[in-house]
Amino acid sequence: MSEIFIDGQRYEFEEGDDRGLLQFILDNGKEVPFFCYHPSMSAPANCRQCYVKVGTPVKNRDTGEYELDENGDRQIRWFPKMQTSCTTQMQDGMVVHTQETSDEVARAQKDTMEFILINHPLDCPICDQAGECPLQIQTYKYGPEGSRFEVKKQHKPKRVELGPRVTLDAERCINCTRCVRFTEEISETNQLTITSRGDKNYPITAPGREFDDPYSLNTVDICPVGALTSTDFRFKARVWEMNQTPSIDITGGKGTNIDLWTRDNLILRITPRYNGEVNDHWMPDAGREAYRRFNEKRFSRPAIKLDGDNQSKTSWNNAIETFAETLESNKPEDVLVIGSPHASVEENFALMKVFNLWGVSNFKFAPHVEEGAGDDLLLTDDQAPNTNGVKLLGYEESANIADDVKKAKVTILLTDELIDRGALSADDLKDTFSILMATNECETTKAADLVIPVTCIAEHAASYVNVDGRIQRSFPAKETKYTNRSLDLEMNQGRLDRFGTNFDNWRTEENKVDCVPAWEIMDKLAERIGLDVSFGPSREIMDEIASSISAFDGVSYERMDNEMGINLNPSTKQEATA
Amino acid sequence: MEETYEFTKEDLQEIETIKAKFPTNTAATLPVLWVAQRRFGHVEPAVQRLVAKTLELPESHVHGVATFYTMYYKERKGKYVLDVCTTTSCQLCGGYKMLHYLEDKLGIKAGETTEDGMFSIQSVECLGACGYAPMMQITNDVYVNNLTEEKLDEVIESLKEGEMPEFESVGMPLLEKRNI
Repeated sequence: MSEIFIDGQRYEFEEGDDRGLLQFILDNGKEVPFFCYHPSMSAPANCRQCYVKVGTPVKNRDTGEYELDENGDRQIRWFPKMQTSCTTQMQDGMVVHTQETSDEVARAQKDTMEFILINHPLDCPICDQAGECPLQIQTYKYGPEGSRFEVKKQHKPKRVELGPRVTLDAERCINCTRCVRFTEEISETNQLTITSRGDKNYPITAPGREFDDPYSLNTVDICPVGALTSTDFRFKARVWEMNQTPSIDITGGKGTNIDLWTRDNLILRITPRYNGEVNDHWMPDAGREAYRRFNEKRFSRPAIKLDGDNQSKTSWNNAIETFAETLESNKPEDVLVIGSPHASVEENFALMKVFNLWGVSNFKFAPHVEEGAGDDLLLTDDQAPNTNGVKLLGYEESANIADDVKKAKVTILLTDELIDRGALSADDLKDTFSILMATNECETTKAADLVIPVTCIAEHAASYVNVDGRIQRSFPAKETKYTNRSLDLEMNQGRLDRFGTNFDNWRTEENKVDCVPAWEIMDKLAERIGLDVSFGPSREIMDEIASSISAFDGVSYERMDNEMGINLNPSTKQEATA
Repeated sequence: MEETYEFTKEDLQEIETIKAKFPTNTAATLPVLWVAQRRFGHVEPAVQRLVAKTLELPESHVHGVATFYTMYYKERKGKYVLDVCTTTSCQLCGGYKMLHYLEDKLGIKAGETTEDGMFSIQSVECLGACGYAPMMQITNDVYVNNLTEEKLDEVIESLKEGEMPEFESVGMPLLEKRNI
């Protein structure tokens, strides 16, 4: 074990630890300001902000003993200049002073910051990054109180559309090259470069080329200033007005960990959340578009077909009553239950449990795979977030779901837009009474005889098993008509939620959807048709799944939260330990 | 329509020998950009793309390199590019006077090219020849030292004939004294 002294405190590290000094300092809960360094990419040390004072003990060459000074302390040979801690390798006995114990270092950081700020516009109040800007935060903490630069600042292009999703404000750029390194090292499309030099440089694509990288929006997240902004999200909301809820990406099979940012029960943006086992710091651009699904065209209130093909809204009581009457007037063997790889483990389980008890044995699901859509980063051929989950619950994979539907008199479908994705046609549902639990208005809801709105991933806590067999869960981010942020302990409260009242002009009731979780519908249905089943909150359903299905052995919400997801797949488990 | 550019066989051979000198193609970017600029007279985006394709490098990388160095011309220039130094020493010795004389003589402003495509004028930063101020450089090549209006007239005339002025060796003043 080697030792290192940081600000007079002794820390230990393994020999051969290839972490840079900066990462080691951060991992030990201390802080040194930095801009260009990113743990997942190479360290170019070009922002010069992470300066520390470093020295090594003097060793006697003959004896190999440390030389001591008159006080009996080790003699330290200081490096002639301050070092950028991100590129400094740790050595045994190294002594480090950060800005906390060295005025010299604090001064150096302050002066570097003054240089960085020379051409950076000081208009934080109108900048999109304000509130989550490392430059802003670190200037407050470590920066100079003012600038001695009295000349006109260098002006650069303000609204460069680098690509379909990313807009550049070149003036704000501090040329940390994080975005350039991202396209070189992570997405490997090499689409960005730094143009020109001196005070005229900023990142840009090659002339005539677009920044259309499928991961382009990650550069917006890692940009330490407001230079790269999301074309879609820029100037829509302030960070401190929103609240942030952890969730899972539902547009692919990878189960990318994400955060949902909400204000007044609208999801305004989606950003990746770090999970070293799944997605590191990144997410594909496609997943960020999903926020529209959570807000727009939501199915609210049950609907039923009364005359011909015209649906009309109906009451919850009537919906449950119709559901029950349909079941009672048909034999269980004529009922087909189609589970959904787009719905959670809990929803699929509740559905299966109720209909199993009713005597139904026909449980199918249609996988949603697009060959060639995946890559070796985060995109997968599997377009659904929970294919493995439905399989583990015992739903049978069906290559041709249309044939199964034709044989059934009653078809019960769970949140899967089968017609929209081409697995079924509207005609296939003509000869069967179809009951659909849906989140969004789509072609499939138009074709169904009875539509019951259910909560989407942004409105319930539920778990999903990704392509690698890892089970992870979501938290409710949006209120429905029947939930309340201040009562549900799983929900976050933002500033506006906590301090606002119902009469504030930024608050509306319109964004709350009239829907309930699928397991609550199953609970009501079971009660109506006289089955001895009931479902509590999803946390309890998961406990029930864990105790009744061996594949989910030992899974609980608590464990998923503490371990950032649990690997259910025994084969990959072995790989991980080997 | 954007013009398409192709390297000649000789160029490609030269590029191969350049590549052989370096461990990676990335390292060959600068010399190959020179080959391109000698051949086409500039490294416009289309030429940058050709270089990137030839070296199998990302276009963005070649663009970044080409824009970093001012001696690569990112747009079309005249046959002769007159870089007149206007940094301190030359400025004090009449650099701007020479620049304005040239501008009036050729009827263009600094940064522009004459209509016949013969001359471009640029006002540039220090070229490291402060001892012979004012001075200018012609197309990244010969220095013309101790400029006067008459000397400029001569140079322009000879360039119109297609003759580059000869390289002038100017000795160090101290050495000259010692030799006497």
